[in-house]
Amino acid sequence: MSWLFTSLRGRIGDVMATPLTILSRKDALRRMREAGYRIAAVLPIHYPRALLRACGFHPVEVWGPARVDSRGGDLRFQAYTCAIVRNAVSLLSEGKLDPADVLLVPHTCDALQGMGSVLGDFVKPHQRVLTLYHPRSGGPAALGFLVDELRRLQQELSAHGGRQPTDAEWVEALRIEAEADAALAGLYRDRMRLPLTDREFYTLVRAREYLPPEEFAALASAVPHGERAQAPGVPLMLSGIVCEPMEVFDQINSVGGRIVADDLACGYRRVYPPVADGAPLERLARALLGAPPDPTRGSPIAERAAALTRRMRETGAKGLLVYDVKFCEPELFDLPRLRAHLAEAGFPMLHVEHELTPQTSQQALTRVEAFLETLQ
Amino acid sequence: MNASDLPHFAPSNRLSYLLQYELIGRTVLRVQRWNDARKLAAYRPKADDPLTPPLRCVTRMKELMSRHYLEGRYAAGVRPVAWVTSGAPTEILKALDFFLIYPENHAALCGARRKAEALCIEAENAGYSRDVCSYGRTDIGAVLSGKTPVGRLPRPDLLLCCTNICQTVLYWYRTLADYFGVPLVVIDTPFLYGDAQPHQLAYVKRQLEDLVPVAERVAGRRFSEQRFAEVVRNARRGAELWLEIMDRSQHRPAPMTAFDGFIHMAPIVDLRGEAVTVDYYETMLAELDERVRQGIGAVRNERFRVLWDNLPIWFQISRLSKVLALRGVNVVASTYTYAWGELAPLIDESKGFESMANVYLHPILNRSAGHKLRTMQRMVKDFHINGVILHSDRSCKPYSLGQMDQRERLVSETGVPALLLEADHNDPRSYSDQQGEARLEAFIETMEAAA
Repeated sequence: MSWLFTSLRGRIGDVMATPLTILSRKDALRRMREAGYRIAAVLPIHYPRALLRACGFHPVEVWGPARVDSRGGDLRFQAYTCAIVRNAVSLLSEGKLDPADVLLVPHTCDALQGMGSVLGDFVKPHQRVLTLYHPRSGGPAALGFLVDELRRLQQELSAHGGRQPTDAEWVEALRIEAEADAALAGLYRDRMRLPLTDREFYTLVRAREYLPPEEFAALASAVPHGERAQAPGVPLMLSGIVCEPMEVFDQINSVGGRIVADDLACGYRRVYPPVADGAPLERLARALLGAPPDPTRGSPIAERAAALTRRMRETGAKGLLVYDVKFCEPELFDLPRLRAHLAEAGFPMLHVEHELTPQTSQQALTRVEAFLETLQ
Repeated sequence: MNASDLPHFAPSNRLSYLLQYELIGRTVLRVQRWNDARKLAAYRPKADDPLTPPLRCVTRMKELMSRHYLEGRYAAGVRPVAWVTSGAPTEILKALDFFLIYPENHAALCGARRKAEALCIEAENAGYSRDVCSYGRTDIGAVLSGKTPVGRLPRPDLLLCCTNICQTVLYWYRTLADYFGVPLVVIDTPFLYGDAQPHQLAYVKRQLEDLVPVAERVAGRRFSEQRFAEVVRNARRGAELWLEIMDRSQHRPAPMTAFDGFIHMAPIVDLRGEAVTVDYYETMLAELDERVRQGIGAVRNERFRVLWDNLPIWFQISRLSKVLALRGVNVVASTYTYAWGELAPLIDESKGFESMANVYLHPILNRSAGHKLRTMQRMVKDFHINGVILHSDRSCKPYSLGQMDQRERLVSETGVPALLLEADHNDPRSYSDQQGEARLEAFIETMEAAA
């Protein structure tokens, strides 16, 4: 049974009169297949959704899910490689990504670079392995390069079963994805007025990883807004690449914390700014380059710290909980300076590592609990 | 902690520079070289020493590198100072008379002198995880503590980071930029999964062009095309000579080992583009040719010829060299040292930044795992290799990821045994002598069985 077809079916908003049901991956993919779309399995973090859509591909993201037997990945990658890569390669080797027609491996870090290279050169899965390089220079050359890089990706998608989008298809893809992006931004903007637990909120946010965009936008807008009694617990901002398993949110709640904001790569770091003008590829490139600060894209640490500080003040977060996948260099390098900048602003920080396993370490939870006590 | 909290980065002044470096320091180092050369000439290895005497030119190399770091002690405030990654396009900065510090080379030096662990611990005490690159930890430990075997490092006025060796340097230099509060220029070189594309070349070229005004502003002088062309000429000639030096080890017996190469590569990394580097490698090449003519090998009884993949284990160079030589193993080539010469044919000073963009896009570390496999397969043939040691370097993911497949292909497609040796280039805590040597022993036995 394909992993793409098995995980995450969720009911969220149990406190609402009519709980919302999130389409399962299986149903979402079936629906998109029936609508004539091919499937792209996409690795973290940033990629142009509207480009895939315009070329007739539906993206389903693979964040190295926690409930995976990692042996397939362990055969190809050393133990000091992050679990996102090892788990994703394991999924692939077990045939659980078989429904995908292409694999898109953005060049996010050295580990994903290695994965893209090894898949393309040695593993050679039946799916075509496509890559995308995100510029890190931040200088004036970055925009032009990214536009060209997106054009290259478009050509490759078209050459591997995708379509050459017409103007009308571009307009439609950009509109639909912009609506979904706006819906995601709206969820973050209004999160304190939504009748959702932390786990429900992130189940909804992360449904963006596989839902058809129109489905996601509809679902997000169906969550009723209102004045909500403040949930108990110490308000925290959560940072890292991906927070799994989803039970972690319940566990954080159970030890007295609640998440009021995040700096997750699978979360707020992908709240892209709306870009309404320009040619399609340029619009997409501007949106990608305009995303919130992210160490994998080379954002200056001080800029990132300033953005986090501002959002922590806005949301009332009292501290930053960094929940990192082990061996993640882009995250690890920033931490001491981030800690220093946040301390200057009066925000303490706790760093906890995990290996994307189904269980959360009790020791890690104890540390979170102790951290929360210091914030009360 | 910011740069203002780091008193060991206080600037020097012109008088100290002239007196301590130009006048006294250089003279002392020259005298020291003469003494070293005399001792080396008189050196007679023991009968059971598996290695022949070191190359004579090593004394000159020691002088060059000592002089470089000595100048570094007094350079801040006198010359513009840039800290640069090993694969950075330094020709532009050299043309503007920057004094360059290569934190990776400094970290390697700390590793070889067994000072790296203490510096890594300094960084770890400041919050840096043991899972980040040990070069980075060594460097940050030196920045925070001021401890370094070279006396003192100059505070940078500019940071230049090129991503053609890894993304780690991007994170590391962002950290340095945050500490020092100086401009950071990133030359971003898209990873080449296949052949370089025109838009990738154009992107790198544009960034090189954009570097010039920033570097001019920091240096306080105008960029000279003439000086730039001269530096590029020297860089090309130095790289050509280095490539020839590496290729001399195709002879049997090989006149040097890859461990020698790890040491002698310092000038092509740190002093690339300088006339003195060209002179040095001409001298070294002549000495190797002399050895080849006389049939002198670096290992007395060269039974097996081995290829090394990845960075060296700096804190184990001497020991591994002897342990292997005792069993008649000469590590005659390495993908790492080769990387500093193999791009020489791409350097063309008449094509300016276009040529540089091409060169700096193509280091082995910026190319696919399949390309590295093909390079190793070619080297197995060219260097008459009996076995391959792939150093699985915990601190260098771009070099190491892919090695498990590469090892399998090397064995199945070239028929030579290949060993994956788990270690770290700079952190001794990630390497076990006993386990490492037991694995090497088994590897040698495999080569013996295949012979």
